[in-house]
Amino acid sequence: MKIITFLSTLNRRWVYTLVWIAVIIPLLFPMSFKINTTPEVQSLYDAVENVPDSSTVLLTFDLWPNALAETEPMARTALHHLFRKNCNVVTLTTIPLGGPSVAERVTREVAALYDKKYGVDYVNLGYKPNYVSVLRGLATSIESIYPTDNSGTMLSQLPLMHTVKTYDQIAFIFIVADNGIVDNWVSIVNAQFGKKMCAAVTSVMAPKLYAYMGSGQLTGILGGMKGAAEYEQLVHKPGLATIGISIQSLVHFLIIALIGLGNLGFFLERRAKQKEARG
Amino acid sequence: MRTTLPLILAFISGIIMVVSFFINPEQKVLGDISQELLIWASIIGGFSFLLGAVSITRVNWRSYKTRRPGWGYNLVTIVGVFMMAIPALWPTSWLPESMASLAGRNAGSVYDWFFLYLATPMSQTMFAILAFYIATAAYRAFRARSSQATLLLITASIVMLWRVPMGEALLRVIYDGLPEIINTYIMAGINMSVQRGIIIGAALGAATFSLRILLGIERTYMGKG
Repeated sequence: MKIITFLSTLNRRWVYTLVWIAVIIPLLFPMSFKINTTPEVQSLYDAVENVPDSSTVLLTFDLWPNALAETEPMARTALHHLFRKNCNVVTLTTIPLGGPSVAERVTREVAALYDKKYGVDYVNLGYKPNYVSVLRGLATSIESIYPTDNSGTMLSQLPLMHTVKTYDQIAFIFIVADNGIVDNWVSIVNAQFGKKMCAAVTSVMAPKLYAYMGSGQLTGILGGMKGAAEYEQLVHKPGLATIGISIQSLVHFLIIALIGLGNLGFFLERRAKQKEARG
Repeated sequence: MRTTLPLILAFISGIIMVVSFFINPEQKVLGDISQELLIWASIIGGFSFLLGAVSITRVNWRSYKTRRPGWGYNLVTIVGVFMMAIPALWPTSWLPESMASLAGRNAGSVYDWFFLYLATPMSQTMFAILAFYIATAAYRAFRARSSQATLLLITASIVMLWRVPMGEALLRVIYDGLPEIINTYIMAGINMSVQRGIIIGAALGAATFSLRILLGIERTYMGKG
């Protein structure tokens, strides 16, 4: 009976403390695990590898700042992968808070490592409201939807944008998102214009995208921290996701243990009540 | 007229966009009109932000002025809105050259500083707190009360193990090909088929709703039932 009382009266503060410990331990004592590559991530990597060198890739930063722990490592690794292949990168976002600033900061940081010049090798178009109009409008004219880049420079003054006018000049679309915008990229841009694309999304978004992967509309998926860590391994740029995945490992184990404990208490309590009812 | 004109506008705009979806976007006349409508839609979207800013300021200012309970939060909201908006919208040409980088939204600007060191950590903190709630919810609420709940519980636990390298290693101890089986049968099997059903259902619903708007049956967007 003692165990039933303990399990049913366990204070939530103990659970919070356990979560805190599970997060802190891997930070203090880094652990490394073998990260196996899933077919979805391998497929994404291969799709980016197959993009012709020196072609233009559209990288989207459709993300809010709260999920940056998952999405920033994905965007960072994608930029390493693309710049290493000498691809030109055009970035844009459909999210007003976060997207433009993150795209600006992350792209400039990674571009500096590869001696890439703004306006020549990469451009940040920034944000424009009404994503449906933006996604559809870019097919006819990028300049009519984005007359200027994120910092207000006219596109006509940016050499890269002299050759990139519509989706026709974009070889591949790499979507980094933490929301349902991937559906729109697929239904508007892939379905109508046949553009090849892949998606790097948060764990909670990934299951839905298997449907698009199965239909061939997405060439690959990076799902959450695990997907980001797998991609970092493939690109040989271990970073924040490789560190973060060990923290997530412990927390997942803890949650599974808590589910088990909670159910143990539930069954013991139910059995005790049944015994009592039988007299 | 107040009802008929918006209905006609919605019908014409909608039909142009629907027809243009099935033709080459570079085609003259229809392609040009649809592109123009898309630009208008983006501009109207921009104005909705302005309306939002006016509304949030009015509501919070009223609460602050009348000293309603929690008026301090209203004041913080107003200060936060303007603290982020003014430096971002301030033209760089209005500042001396040495300070020009502080205006706008580029790296090193005041807006970027607020975003990077205030907005980002605060929203990430709020999001991270979810981990604590999920852990207690898992302990208190995720119970095998029925066969369906048990199935969900077992599947969720297996997928949670599969999604982390430590769990994957454990699954491989049980059977070497287990992670691949989970990916093939749970994620790319059961999950994919269910997601397809949901996506197709939602798309049919969206298409029906759009058709109702185009035909003027659905008028809630005009504030009418």
